[in-house]
Amino acid sequence: MNGFFAVLGRDLAIARREGGEALLAVIFFILGTVLFPLGVGPDPQLLAAVAAGLIWVMALLATLLALDRLFQADWRDGALELMAISPESLTVIVAAKCLAHWLLTGLPMAVAAPLMALLLNLPPDGWLTLVAALLLGGPALSLIGAVCAALLVGARRGGVLMTLLALPLYIPTLIFGAGAVEAAVGGFDASAHLALLGATTLAAMALCPWAAAAALRHAME
Amino acid sequence: MRSRKRQRLWLVSIGVLLLGGAAALALTAFEDNLVFFHSPSDLKAGKAEVGQLIRIGGLVEDGSIARQPGTAITAFRVTDGAATATVTYEGILPDLFREGQGVVVRGRLLADGAFQGVEVLAKHDENYMPPEVADALKKSGHWKMGEDAPPKGAGS
Amino acid sequence: MADATATANPSGGFWHRLANPARFQRLAGWLTPWLAAAAVGLFAAGLYFGLYASPIDYQQKDNVRIMYVHVPAAWLAMMSYSTLAIAGFVLLVWRHPLADVAGVAAAPVGAAFTFLALVTGAIWGQPTWGTWWVWDARLTSVLILFFLFLGYIALRNAFDEPERAAKAAAILGLVGAVNLPIIKFSVDWWNTLHQPASVTRLGTPAIDPAMLRPLMLMAGAYMCLFTVLVLVRMRLELTRRRIDALQSARAGAIE
Repeated sequence: MNGFFAVLGRDLAIARREGGEALLAVIFFILGTVLFPLGVGPDPQLLAAVAAGLIWVMALLATLLALDRLFQADWRDGALELMAISPESLTVIVAAKCLAHWLLTGLPMAVAAPLMALLLNLPPDGWLTLVAALLLGGPALSLIGAVCAALLVGARRGGVLMTLLALPLYIPTLIFGAGAVEAAVGGFDASAHLALLGATTLAAMALCPWAAAAALRHAME
Repeated sequence: MRSRKRQRLWLVSIGVLLLGGAAALALTAFEDNLVFFHSPSDLKAGKAEVGQLIRIGGLVEDGSIARQPGTAITAFRVTDGAATATVTYEGILPDLFREGQGVVVRGRLLADGAFQGVEVLAKHDENYMPPEVADALKKSGHWKMGEDAPPKGAGS
Repeated sequence: MADATATANPSGGFWHRLANPARFQRLAGWLTPWLAAAAVGLFAAGLYFGLYASPIDYQQKDNVRIMYVHVPAAWLAMMSYSTLAIAGFVLLVWRHPLADVAGVAAAPVGAAFTFLALVTGAIWGQPTWGTWWVWDARLTSVLILFFLFLGYIALRNAFDEPERAAKAAAILGLVGAVNLPIIKFSVDWWNTLHQPASVTRLGTPAIDPAMLRPLMLMAGAYMCLFTVLVLVRMRLELTRRRIDALQSARAGAIE
């Protein structure tokens, strides 16, 4: 487990040293969401109707933004090779990198979400569910994205391909996440959606680090 | 070497635990109502707010279809056996729309308890047969089509 | 790794011998015309029964005939993706050389079948349901399947080294296989607009025998077409690789 915390600490330290760059995803999330009222018009009813979906779609896109660099930089400077030959299992290392990615993107987005909900006029009934859904579903986005990022290590046009690979796999998370908020706003019970969101995240935690590690190993062969 | 093996065992058991948790959560979710549409009973129980765009599903009640002459407005009742909802809809109805047919209506609940349809979709079941066979089944009393049909409508 | 193939592969002999491209080329070359003839015959019979010599449905009237084109396309879409997943598994575990070729060959065919299923489904949905498209679980999960095929094809073309492309695509094929049970059971798990399975449900099929006949004929025709297309594409791919190898060998000799 030492390797896990070492990699986690390292990734967070790199992010801190890079300063604002690590928070680019969150800034993108906020700016992108703010564009919608300007684009579709400030009608509060219209905004309220689409708020849950908009916030979730922006969260998906913002997660993708930082993902294609998850392994690429380490692969280029050779750090990935060292991690692969270290005594720590590559699966654990990948899990640590995913956690770091989530701490830098998913968590700040969940924190910023109520502000977005306010700007988009989402009824207050949905706020708590929105934050809960983003917290529950966010790790799945980082984990599924990590598999795609690992597959694309060394690929041409990795950034564009990232969207093509990851977005279809994100659709269930988006459906359950936005569904939970919509249910809460409509006065229905959101627990079924949240349970499915949690199931997605747990399954992703079990399978994704392992699949990503396998992909990385093949990339370095 | 030994610790490596032990670590792998740990990872596998954590993975199995996580997957088990995922399966358990998914199963509890399926027991709940995670649905494409709500039933008239849900409406009756006050699970939807007035003015909110939702979908309701059920069977078109026998003898409830009333077309307003000269307009494209149709009124009908949707039932799930326990409760009914009165629906008005203006527009072209799908071919399969008829009495006893399963439908999904997207629309809004009005203040007077009626449901204003925005879109009417006909749901068809998984049974396919020629009309003669359907007639013969109905005659011989083996008609078991709408097992989800209201008790009155079935068996006819 | 050749030893591992021999020992790890339980059904050894046949598959192992197929790994020889020349032998596979011969077998596939012999099979293709027969399967193509079978496909033509089955299509003729299936279309005759499906469009003409079968009864109308008691509810949908003539619209039910779209089923004979739509349902087999959807089945083949699922089967194509299963082929990708199995090919990926075989490549990663046994490193069978044909597995990668099978994946390359099957992906665009599968994408085409998925597209056909989506389009015919929309054409069927418009008159019966009253809409071209709804976002219910079945339709959405098949749309995801289509995107997965596109992602697979794009990923295959994103690498300069064929080895790396083959393995990345194999892993993506396995990851995407999660979607297959979701497609299959979506109609049972959720209240979908799409109707539940008729043919593969437990007990008797819910389809009248007179309608099941054209459906099965068309399913057989699609199967044969799929196999022919995949075999032809596999032979093309093998030939292309052979040419590449010969060209680089000659370039090496000139130097």
